[in-house]
Amino acid sequence: MNPSRPYPSRRRVLGLGGALAASAGLGGLAACSSGPRAGAHGDPAKGDITVWSWAGPAAEMRALVPEFTKAHPGIKVTVEDIGNPAIWDKITTSMAADGAGLADVLHIGVDYLPAYTDRFPGQLADLGPLGAGKYRTAFADGLWQTVSLDGSRVDALPWEANSGGFYYRADVFEQAGVDVTALGTWDDTIEAGREIKAKTGTYLLGIDKPASQQDSANLFQLLLQLQGAMYFDLDGAITVSSPEAVLAMTLIKRMNDAGLVNDISGGWNSLISSVKSGTAAVLPWPTWFGGVIEDSVPDQAGLWGVRLPPAVQPGGTNAATVNSTHLAVSGTSRHQAAAFRFVEFVLTRPRSQVRIYRNQGIAPALMAAYEDPVFHQPSEFFGGQKKGEIFLDALRADSPAFNYTSDYARALKAVTDAQTRVLLRGADPATELRRAADQLAAQTARKVAR
Amino acid sequence: MTTSAPQARTAPPPARRKAGRQRPRRSGRRLAPYLFLLPAAVLFAVFKLYPIGRSFFLSLYKSVDGVDRYVGLDNYERLMDDPLFWTALRNTGVILVIQVPLMLALATGLAVALNSALLRARAVFRLGFFLPMITGLVAYGIIFSVLLNQQYGLANWLLSLVGAGEVPWLTDPLWAQISLGLALTWHYTGYNAVILLARLQTIPSELYNAAAVDGAGAWQSFRHVTLPGLRPALLLTTVLSTIGTLQIFDEPYILTRGGPDNATLTIGVYLYQNAFQYFDFGYASAIAYVLAVLIGVLGLIQFRVLGDKS
Repeated sequence: MNPSRPYPSRRRVLGLGGALAASAGLGGLAACSSGPRAGAHGDPAKGDITVWSWAGPAAEMRALVPEFTKAHPGIKVTVEDIGNPAIWDKITTSMAADGAGLADVLHIGVDYLPAYTDRFPGQLADLGPLGAGKYRTAFADGLWQTVSLDGSRVDALPWEANSGGFYYRADVFEQAGVDVTALGTWDDTIEAGREIKAKTGTYLLGIDKPASQQDSANLFQLLLQLQGAMYFDLDGAITVSSPEAVLAMTLIKRMNDAGLVNDISGGWNSLISSVKSGTAAVLPWPTWFGGVIEDSVPDQAGLWGVRLPPAVQPGGTNAATVNSTHLAVSGTSRHQAAAFRFVEFVLTRPRSQVRIYRNQGIAPALMAAYEDPVFHQPSEFFGGQKKGEIFLDALRADSPAFNYTSDYARALKAVTDAQTRVLLRGADPATELRRAADQLAAQTARKVAR
Repeated sequence: MTTSAPQARTAPPPARRKAGRQRPRRSGRRLAPYLFLLPAAVLFAVFKLYPIGRSFFLSLYKSVDGVDRYVGLDNYERLMDDPLFWTALRNTGVILVIQVPLMLALATGLAVALNSALLRARAVFRLGFFLPMITGLVAYGIIFSVLLNQQYGLANWLLSLVGAGEVPWLTDPLWAQISLGLALTWHYTGYNAVILLARLQTIPSELYNAAAVDGAGAWQSFRHVTLPGLRPALLLTTVLSTIGTLQIFDEPYILTRGGPDNATLTIGVYLYQNAFQYFDFGYASAIAYVLAVLIGVLGLIQFRVLGDKS
C-alpha cells in the first residue's frame, strides 16, 4: 500500500470493529436485560392469533377454526403443528429470548408447565383477569391445582386428563388361559406374564430399555403414581429413591429377569411396529393410547380389551391421573383476550371436546363433556367394552396431586438412566435409585426425602 | 503494542487538507472497502461476538425462581463435581483419541489412492467420497439410525444373511460408541481426504523421482516424501477434526440421544440438555466456556507438536 494514501490504518479499523462489536454487544445486553416485553389484553373480538400444538390435537384445533371464526369473525386463527417433542425446544427458546416469536396460544404438557412458570415468570398470561375463574369446578379433580399452582393466578386451562390404562390382547390372554379381569396386583400380572410367555411366546409388555426416547420410564412412573408417589413430594423434596420407587423398579426388574419384557428401543416407530406385530400382550399406556391402537391396527378390532391397571399393593388403587395437557396464553401476546376466547372455545365447550374425543380418543378434562353418549357407548374395537366409562371411573376416583416441579426433566433423565442400568446390566434398583437421587440433589439443591 | 504506538502517533498527518475538492471522492474511495466489509462485521458482531460475551456473563449467573442471580464461579465449581460432565468429557475424549487418528489415517490412504495415476474415473470417486460431507447432519443421522436399528435395520439384515446374530448397534453402550464412530468416519473421511489430496498435488514429482533413483520403494517414498509434504495439511485436518469432535452434537443427539446410560453423551449433548431441557442456561454457558478453553489448549498443543518448527 502506498503510505501517502490516507487510508485508515489497520489498527484504526480493528479499533472501530471492536467498538462496533462492543456497542452491538452492550446494546444487545441492554435489550435483553429489560425482561419480557409486556403483552396486552387487546380487543377480545379482534386480532390475528397463532396457536402452537402438535399432531392430532393440532389437527383437531384446525378443524374447529371455521366454526370459531363464524362466531368471532374479527379473530383470525392460525394453528401450527410444531410437533412433539420439538414444541418444547421452540417454546423454551422463545421464552429464553423474552418471548420473541412466541405464539399467542401454547399447548403445554403437565411435565413442562411448572418449569415454564418457574423459570420464565410472566411468560404465560394470568388467565384469571380474562375470566378463567368461572371454570374452577368445570374440570376433573386435581387439575385446577395443576394450572393454578399457588391459587393466585391461572397459568392455563386443562385440556386432556389421562388416566393410567391397561390395554391388552384379549385373544392372547384367552389362549394362555388367563383371566385378565382377575389380575388384582402387578404380582398377579407377572405370574400371568409367565403363563402367557410359556404358552404363546408373547411378551408381557415392551419397554424402551436403552431409553432411546424420553418417555421410556412411563411404566415406572405409572407404578409410582398408582402408589400416590412421584419423583418429588408436595414440598418439592426428591423422592426417586423412596420405598415406593424401589418397589416399582423392582417389579420392572422382576418382569425383565423373567424374560417378559420386549425391548422396544427406537422410539415411536418401534412401539407402533410392536403393536402391529403383536409382540406384547399388554400396553400399560394412558387413555389417549386407545385411539392410537385403533388407528394402527384397525383389522384387529375385537381382539383388544381395556381395563384399569392392577394395583401395586393388594387393596391399592388402580386409578391415577398420570398426565394432562393444557392450553396457555403467552404473556407477551398483544391479543390475550382474543387468544383466551379461542382457548375457551376449544376447552370449555363440551361440543368441541366431544368432537376431539370422537376423532382422536383424547380424553377431556372438562367433566360436562362426559354427558355425551359417545363416552357411554360400547366400543366395537375393544370387544364391546365401554372404554369411555372405564376411564371416566378413574377420573372420578380420588387421585392424589402430583408435584412435577421445575426439575421434572432432570428427574426423568436420572430415573431413565437408572432404569437402563437395571434392565441392561441387571443393576440393583435400590442402589441405582439412590444414585439417581444423589445426582438430582447435587444438580438442583433440593433435599432428598429419606 | 507499546512499541508501535509512538510510531503511529509520529506518523505525518495524512494529506487531508491538501485534498481540496478531490476530498469527497477520495474519502469515498477510502471508505468503500470498509463499507463493503461492514455487513459482515455487523453480522459477526451480533451473531458471534455478542453471544460469546453474553454467555460468559450467563455462566456467572444462576436462575432462581426465574430471577438471574450472580453466583460468581459457582457454576464452574459445580461442573468439577458433576459426574455426568466427566462422563461426557471422557466419551468425547475417547472419540478424539480413537476415531480421529483412525479417520485421518484412512483419509491419508484415500488421498494417496485418489491421487494415483492408475485410477480411472477419478472425478467420480472424489465426488463419491466427498458427498457424505454435504449430506445434512440430521438426514444422515436419521439414515444411520434406520440402518442400525436392531430389529429391522439393513445392517442386521445383511449380517443375518451370513448367519451372524443381531448386533445391538445403538442399544448396547459399547456398540453405541462404535456406531457413533462409524457414522462420524463415514461423514468426515472424504472431507479430510480432499484437503490432503489438494496438498498432495503440490508435492513436486521430482522428489519422487529422486527418491526412486536413490532406490526408495513405495513405502519409503511415502514415509520420506509424501508424509513430510503432507505435514501442513495433516496439521490442518487434525486441528479441524479436534475442534469438530469436541463440539460434536448432531450425531449422538439423533442416533442415541446420548444413551444408552450416557455411553454416547458428549459435551455438546450435555450442554444442550442443560440449556434446553433443564433451562439451566448459566450452567450450560459454563460448560461452553470450559469447552472453549479445552479447544484452545488442544489446538495450541497440536500447533506446537505438528507445526512447522522453522
